[in-house]
Amino acid sequence: MVITIDGIKCQAHKGEYILDIAKRNNIHIPTLCHSDALPGQGNCRLCIVEVIEKGRKKVVTSCIFPVTGEIEVVTNSEKIRGIRKTLIRLLSARAPKNEYIDKLRQEYNIPPETRFKTDDNENCILCGLCVRACEEMGIYAISTVNRGITKKVSTPFDEASDVCIGCGVCAYVCPTSAIKVLDEGGKRHLWNKTFELMKCVKCGEYITTREHFEYIRKKIAAEGTEIIEPLCDKCKKKTLGENMAQTYK
Amino acid sequence: MNRNVKRTVLICCGPGCLSNQGMDVYEEFKTKILISGLDVDLRSAVETENACVTDTLHPGIKTDLETMVSPAVKATGCQGLCEMGPLVRIEPDSIFYTKVKVSDVTEIIEKTLMENRVVERLLYKDPVQGRKVRAREEAEFYKSQLKVALRNVGEIDPESLDDYIERDGYRALKIVLSQKTSEDVLSEIEKSGLRGRGGAGFPTGRKWRQCARTGNYPKYVICNGDEGDPGAFMDRSIMEGDPHSVIEGMIIGAYAVGSHEGFMYIRDEYFLAIQNMTKALEQARREGFLGKNILGSGFDFDIQIVRGGGAFVCGESTALMASIEGKVGEPRAKYIRSVEKGLWGKPTVLNNVETWANVPVIINKGADWFCSIGTERSKGTKVFSLVGKVRNTGLIEVPMGVTLRRIIFDIGGGIAGGRKFKAVQTGGPSGGCIPESLLDLKVDFDTLDEAGSMMGSGGMIVMDDRTCMVDVARYYLNFLSEESCGKCVPCREGIRRMLEILNDICEGRGRQGDIELLAELGETVREASLCGLGKTAPNPVLTTIKYFKDEYLAHIEDKTCPAGVCKNLTTYYIDKTLCKSCGLCKKNCPSEAIEEKLEGYFINLLKCIKCGSCMNACRFGAVKILAGIMRKL
Repeated sequence: MVITIDGIKCQAHKGEYILDIAKRNNIHIPTLCHSDALPGQGNCRLCIVEVIEKGRKKVVTSCIFPVTGEIEVVTNSEKIRGIRKTLIRLLSARAPKNEYIDKLRQEYNIPPETRFKTDDNENCILCGLCVRACEEMGIYAISTVNRGITKKVSTPFDEASDVCIGCGVCAYVCPTSAIKVLDEGGKRHLWNKTFELMKCVKCGEYITTREHFEYIRKKIAAEGTEIIEPLCDKCKKKTLGENMAQTYK
Repeated sequence: MNRNVKRTVLICCGPGCLSNQGMDVYEEFKTKILISGLDVDLRSAVETENACVTDTLHPGIKTDLETMVSPAVKATGCQGLCEMGPLVRIEPDSIFYTKVKVSDVTEIIEKTLMENRVVERLLYKDPVQGRKVRAREEAEFYKSQLKVALRNVGEIDPESLDDYIERDGYRALKIVLSQKTSEDVLSEIEKSGLRGRGGAGFPTGRKWRQCARTGNYPKYVICNGDEGDPGAFMDRSIMEGDPHSVIEGMIIGAYAVGSHEGFMYIRDEYFLAIQNMTKALEQARREGFLGKNILGSGFDFDIQIVRGGGAFVCGESTALMASIEGKVGEPRAKYIRSVEKGLWGKPTVLNNVETWANVPVIINKGADWFCSIGTERSKGTKVFSLVGKVRNTGLIEVPMGVTLRRIIFDIGGGIAGGRKFKAVQTGGPSGGCIPESLLDLKVDFDTLDEAGSMMGSGGMIVMDDRTCMVDVARYYLNFLSEESCGKCVPCREGIRRMLEILNDICEGRGRQGDIELLAELGETVREASLCGLGKTAPNPVLTTIKYFKDEYLAHIEDKTCPAGVCKNLTTYYIDKTLCKSCGLCKKNCPSEAIEEKLEGYFINLLKCIKCGSCMNACRFGAVKILAGIMRKL
């Protein structure tokens, strides 16, 4: 199947999402709540595009819109740019001092917010990626809490979570660096919980939390793969290299 | 009266009447009739001429043996005219009593049930005709109505399966299971033109066919009873007053699409609806209308109730399904429809309570009959909860295409307190406000959409000239800001900022450019939101800007609230030229702010709490709102 994005003919499979097709063809569509490792969520709405199907135009969310027919997509029409600008203005009013959001604001020539009440300490835009990633890890330690304008991301009752393993995947996927993983003195602080960090058995460098390591070890054991040793990335590579050298000697 | 005809006393125990001690009136009827002896079935006593029995009876009975048939006393669902509750009807005499108190019961029993006389003072005074009416059919409120979905509500005891069966209940199901294929049912519903009553108005038949067509199993059917609009009680009244009609509709729907499992999602606040529905499901199972091999047809189907946690957004179909699955009640995009991938990723048909209740009638009376009611593209009737500043608030059902004017001024009896009509809000919190110039609009799915409002599930709130339209928009946005699920940016952040602007305007901090900014934000929220809640959320703001821009300007530029609602922007004064010095304003003022001086009455602004009681009380329109002070300054 062939679809047209901004006049460019693109090969597509049935059921593929517009955003993925555009990326493959080097057509830029801005996103915040998208990660290639996770299914699309359609929360930030920045990736909206216009789809023309059978002569009818409609606004759709490209990260979750599956292609089923030979459609024409416009990613940057005046209407789309207008909506996107308002969305970025809303995001900027929410997290005015956030580096990433501010960059986006400047890119779209939006003046700094003066009409609305703003909170300079806010960095989270509630895109939901952290929750999604935690779910995908199979941990379910954090979730969105409350509804509407009081919505936030947290652990149950804001207490230290029983199930959190301190892996930090939430912080890793966060597009605005709103989640901070604090590592100091052999301890990791995350979501109101303190974790003990494990050392690399070779060099003594801190690797990750004990809970995280145990979690991976169990998973790997369940798959029947060889038991791993707690090694840092550098030592892991080094060991691998040494093993390989040994083999070919 | 024919002594073989059994009398029935129908006491309304719908939500409105219940809160006015309707249940107490019902209990009183039961006890007093028992004491009076009317409860004994006298037919046999008279026939055998058993003097012993008649001797022990209330003396009033002896005088008229013809009336001595034990009356059945029934607590029914909502009879409609909530304003005048508790309502009591005596059939087949067609006597309609309103505002019946526990203390009136003895009089009704003695006069009406024993002596066939009418208790005049309890009859309903029709505000349109200006006279008392005996039968409810004579009243304007009931004249223009046509009950289809509400056919049994207020007529039967909802806890009695026999009552339902007596009025053709489960007849449609029998016909379907014994004589019709699923294809027959699908084409009948398609032909009827029935559209979803939950809000969007999607053709029900088409939805069912799409689901029937998919070869993926299992399939589910769901009844959406999560009615959460402020001021709406249509679905509630059906679930409470006629639960079997919904169940029967669902079984027929399940048969048509090939589903064997159904869910009824009812918000937990609807205690009585859940109770009546649970009871009805048990009865249906016992009689073989639900469960394995229904009525010997080989078709299996059962329904379970899921109680919703009271989130407005869970009335959105995909959020509702997420909630049933035990997930956070957040919607998903509908690019893949629920009829293909719905509950647990399986094909699902979800319809609103009222839609399901319409199904058995369509089968019984035929699609052609249903099609003959309504407008070209909206067939059948629609239930509305008519509330706000009308004389007759209540539950109504009218054919599609009836004008708003007829609903408000004939059925509704006009504006309460003789005030002036200003606007009518349709479609719940995300509907729009329709001004007087559009009162002759024929109400159906498409005309309301064109006016910038929507049908929604059928809330209808009437507003008079003491309503501030900016404040109304603010009220709905405030509701939506709390009830939006908060998943997507335009809905969560957009509503929040629109509300911020509206709060500013109402409190006197409105700025130049606010109206344009509201329109711009509204457009983005409408276009870019994920689900129906967000897509319609700006409607209250956009329609009030469209039809009542003057009021926004008065708030922003003149810092005045013309309706006298926004306290920061309201200053009352008494117009000396109109004041007749009657003193009513002073009598009604709760803060002793009105002072009588030689020249007449004055409002002491230091004491005034701006409640507007004086303005409401004045019969000469002498209490006014100081307008345009800011401009003059």
